[in-house]
Amino acid sequence: MKYLPLLWSGIWRKPGRTILIFLQIAVAFSLFGVLQGLATGVQHAVRLARADLLLVHSRLNLWEPLPLGMLAEIQSLPGVHVVVPVSMFFANYRMPTQHVGVVAIQSDKGWESAFTYHIAAKYLAALRKSRIGALARVELAKKYGWKIGERITLISDTKRTNGSTSWAFDLVGTYTDSDVGSGSDVILINYAYFNEARASDKGTVNHFNVSVSDPKQAAAVAEEIDHRFANSPNETETDSLRALAQMELQSIGNLNFVIRAIISAVLVALLFATATTMIQSFRERRPELAVLKTLGFTDLAVFLLILFEALVVCVTAAACGLALATLVFPMASRFVPGLSMPPIIVEVGLASAVAVALISAAVPAVAAARLEVAAALADR
Amino acid sequence: MTSSISLQDVSKHYTRGAARVAVLEHFNLEISAGEFVAIMGPSGSGKTTLLNLIGGLDRPDAGEVLVAGERLGRLSSSALSRWRARHVGFIFQFYNLMPTMSAERNTELPLLLTSLSKSERGRKVAAALELVGLSDRGKHKPGELSGGQQQRVAIARALIADPTILVCDEPTGDLDRHTAEEILALLQTLNQHYAKTIILVTHDPKAAGYAARQLHIDKGQLIDDSAKVAV
Repeated sequence: MKYLPLLWSGIWRKPGRTILIFLQIAVAFSLFGVLQGLATGVQHAVRLARADLLLVHSRLNLWEPLPLGMLAEIQSLPGVHVVVPVSMFFANYRMPTQHVGVVAIQSDKGWESAFTYHIAAKYLAALRKSRIGALARVELAKKYGWKIGERITLISDTKRTNGSTSWAFDLVGTYTDSDVGSGSDVILINYAYFNEARASDKGTVNHFNVSVSDPKQAAAVAEEIDHRFANSPNETETDSLRALAQMELQSIGNLNFVIRAIISAVLVALLFATATTMIQSFRERRPELAVLKTLGFTDLAVFLLILFEALVVCVTAAACGLALATLVFPMASRFVPGLSMPPIIVEVGLASAVAVALISAAVPAVAAARLEVAAALADR
Repeated sequence: MTSSISLQDVSKHYTRGAARVAVLEHFNLEISAGEFVAIMGPSGSGKTTLLNLIGGLDRPDAGEVLVAGERLGRLSSSALSRWRARHVGFIFQFYNLMPTMSAERNTELPLLLTSLSKSERGRKVAAALELVGLSDRGKHKPGELSGGQQQRVAIARALIADPTILVCDEPTGDLDRHTAEEILALLQTLNQHYAKTIILVTHDPKAAGYAARQLHIDKGQLIDDSAKVAV
């Protein structure tokens, strides 16, 4: 503790420079926290995705229609609990930029187990009751200020039987979705109505949602479904929601690698910046360090003084940066569910800050320890 | 008087580029405890090198330097640092204070190397600043003090660990005449009333006049050693 004023004096010798390096480190470590949190959040989201909920789609792609008649055959397979047909199309609200995804489902008994939606019983009853009823995801209703009972008109490339591209739905309720991978601008409608009203692809679905009786058997059931339709005109590919989330993640590249590469580049750049600043600071302080040695401070004491100065600045700034990242995350998690920054990231961040401090201060600390007092005093 | 400082056949060289420059050649000197010695000579004559050898800041290439009973050339770097902390106080021409620390903190620096408590250190700092006439300037930083006051802080710092030897390298070189005389009178008081051995390097004959003994060196050789009555 008695060396604290000396340490403090060294740190604040050039306040402007100290503040700049402090901000530089704080910003770098807040970026570190945010990016690591993002990587962890995405991994967490993938882990949250249900592995026991299967999507049976065409082997060609996710949008190639499959006949509705396959439903009964899938349902008959062992281990299959519920099969629900799903068709989707895209539409715009008032502006071409106001995209809305329309998901047509068949909300028969037990359908809930094949989805990640949470719908209040009264809204579900209202949807079943109204042929042109629709449920909007809570975020979407809030976004466009939709009220229950309102008629929503959407424009789509998917034509109606009368040739119209205008689709009108009565908003009968809202719902939430625990699947972090699905979009928020989505409404649910009745499959029966959609199938009847559309001009083309009648009697087809985009995919079937399948819930299995035993979650542990999900992979075997998926294999069995694909095996059943192998070499048929409608070959299928069955993936779990988690597998699809992983595929989606892989489609944007190796996120972990990209994030680690960015963090490494930031830390290396930071290392160069702090090392340069500390070497410059050491050069300016040579006579002062020589005076300390003149007064009886040993080589080791001067070495440790330089190291501790670097540690105090780096670790404090990193702690501020990580605290900022921690504060930002709860706000970000409102928009990206599952996003979180576990304590290990703060621990790794602080350990990295210690490493940056020790590496960047190593050269000036050794130089300070080896400083020839007489020569350094003569420099003045 | 017992011999406090003894240089025996000391030689010191520096390398400048490819050239090897002899600064001190077979130099011999005896200084007794409690003496006030002024070392004079032209620039490059070896004054500061001699002072650095006596203060344990440099090592001779040949010969022995004995100070306060210790053969300095045989001490390790850390042992030499500890020895300096116990036995020698340094006063420089440009004060060499820590610019961001108050007069009190600057004065306290040598005591950080001791096992004294905070309150004991505080008492000693107050006493040292009072001795140099700066009791009311303890909280001021060097930039807020005049040159003379800064040099007084440097003297307080040099005295605080109660060393037996004060090594002063041109301590009045950056001060006006009046302030310089005050500082020299203070050094004289420390010599006469506190029995400090003082080695003063100076270009100024008037400053040297405060010392009881004057040494003149040139080209690394002692050319005159005369005792004088202090003014």
